[in-house]
Amino acid sequence: MKQFLRFLLLTLVLTTSLAVVSKADSGKENRIDLIGKVVDKYYLDFKPLATIELPRFIYDNGSFHFYRSTTSLLNQSEVFTDAAYIDAEPRRENGLIKPVSYQIVRLDGSSPGFDFSITAHLVYFWLAALVVMLLFFPLAIRYRKGIGRNSEPQGAFQNMFETLVIFIRDEIALQNIGQQKYMMFTPYLLTVFFLILTMNFFGLMPWGVSSTADITVTAVLALFTFAATQIFASKDHWKHVFWFPGVPVPIKFILMPVELIGLFTKPFALCIRLFANMASGKILILSILGTIFIFADLFGSGVAYGTSWFWVFLTLFIYLIKALVSFIQAYVFTILSALFIGMAVADHSDEHGH
Amino acid sequence: MNPVFTQGLLDVDFGLFFWILITFLLFLFLLTKFAWKPILNALGEREKAIRDSLEAAQKAKEEALLISRENEKTMKEIESISLKLRKEAIEEAEALRADRAEKSKAEAEKLIEQARSTIEQEKKKALLELREEVSKMAIEAASRILDEELDEERNRKIVDRYIKELS
Repeated sequence: MKQFLRFLLLTLVLTTSLAVVSKADSGKENRIDLIGKVVDKYYLDFKPLATIELPRFIYDNGSFHFYRSTTSLLNQSEVFTDAAYIDAEPRRENGLIKPVSYQIVRLDGSSPGFDFSITAHLVYFWLAALVVMLLFFPLAIRYRKGIGRNSEPQGAFQNMFETLVIFIRDEIALQNIGQQKYMMFTPYLLTVFFLILTMNFFGLMPWGVSSTADITVTAVLALFTFAATQIFASKDHWKHVFWFPGVPVPIKFILMPVELIGLFTKPFALCIRLFANMASGKILILSILGTIFIFADLFGSGVAYGTSWFWVFLTLFIYLIKALVSFIQAYVFTILSALFIGMAVADHSDEHGH
Repeated sequence: MNPVFTQGLLDVDFGLFFWILITFLLFLFLLTKFAWKPILNALGEREKAIRDSLEAAQKAKEEALLISRENEKTMKEIESISLKLRKEAIEEAEALRADRAEKSKAEAEKLIEQARSTIEQEKKKALLELREEVSKMAIEAASRILDEELDEERNRKIVDRYIKELS
């Protein structure tokens, strides 16, 4: 019985993949590029309502090239073209060349010097920052006026965000960095927490994109934590890295590379953790919804309709988990940043027998 | 024609990297300057104010306790002093009364004594006068009786002697 089940599962998986492959081969346009839904794009995707192309900035051969959109670049530029048009006829719409791959190359097919175009993830990063600023600048003005400074905080808005701010200051910064230096890093931790949280929440909205599902964004954030740990590291921190105290000399030589690698694995893990959590949520939702269509291919549309309610509910469940994960990952990133900073800036001079 | 995407899932886009780096620094600066610093300062100030007022209240409470204790002590002292004073006053008054009574008694005694001595003197004087009168009367009587036989001087001496012997 068990073997039979296993066999069934295997067949299911194999036929599924075969079905997908055959679909792809048949060249029908009803397939969904899963990874394409998660990676960064040079346009804001509001399909089927609209796609808004974003400005393209390219630095090449000592000169800057600015274009309002990829379309305008393709129609105006004499040095760049879409990578897909190197050996194919351009696709035209109302007389305008439309981008396909959005990857800009020189006419000979080589990559341009430096492409620093605005991307969807960047736009959503800015949007998140804008939301955070719109939330906290008025709040700061309230405090400047004296509400919350000389009196108790008033209103749900102030109470809610003050609780979060105090939580980060007391439970994250103070707990992990310590009394002496925590106030120096609290603004950074607050910025990171609220930015990541807002970016995560954008991923929950219709058409929204979570910038934290981009390894570049998380890498920059992790880089800042890394920079903070290295710039503000105490003497003890370097001593622990290069000449671990309290162990025999041969062990010190073994520990040195381990500690050196450890310096880099910490922010690397920080970066990967956030990225993987946020990206996987989206992929999972699309995969589960995709199951309906795979079932339609495998067993006919009757089965797909019959089971669809289950997949939709499962998607809903995953969506709730995503909402939870948005909070958890923002919290985890912040608390780990605080922990790493705390470890680096800690002064062990008053401790013994480490 | 399959679309070719700019990136795979794990590719780092350096254009985006550049932008995020710059703008994150900007946002960090802006948020720190215009949001976190004022908020954190206000929170710190509020907490300090609360802590200070709690401490002040504690101090005031202790002070009040101290003062009330002192007051109690003073009250007790005052009470004891007043008690003492009352006692002293009573004693003094008692002493004064006793003194006065004694004095008046002594005065009365003195007066009685004086009166008595006056009476004695008067009595003596009266006796003396009486004796003289008696002796005169006796002499006169005797002289009337013994008119010629005895001269007055000698008789008188005799009578005086008799009277002296009598008394």
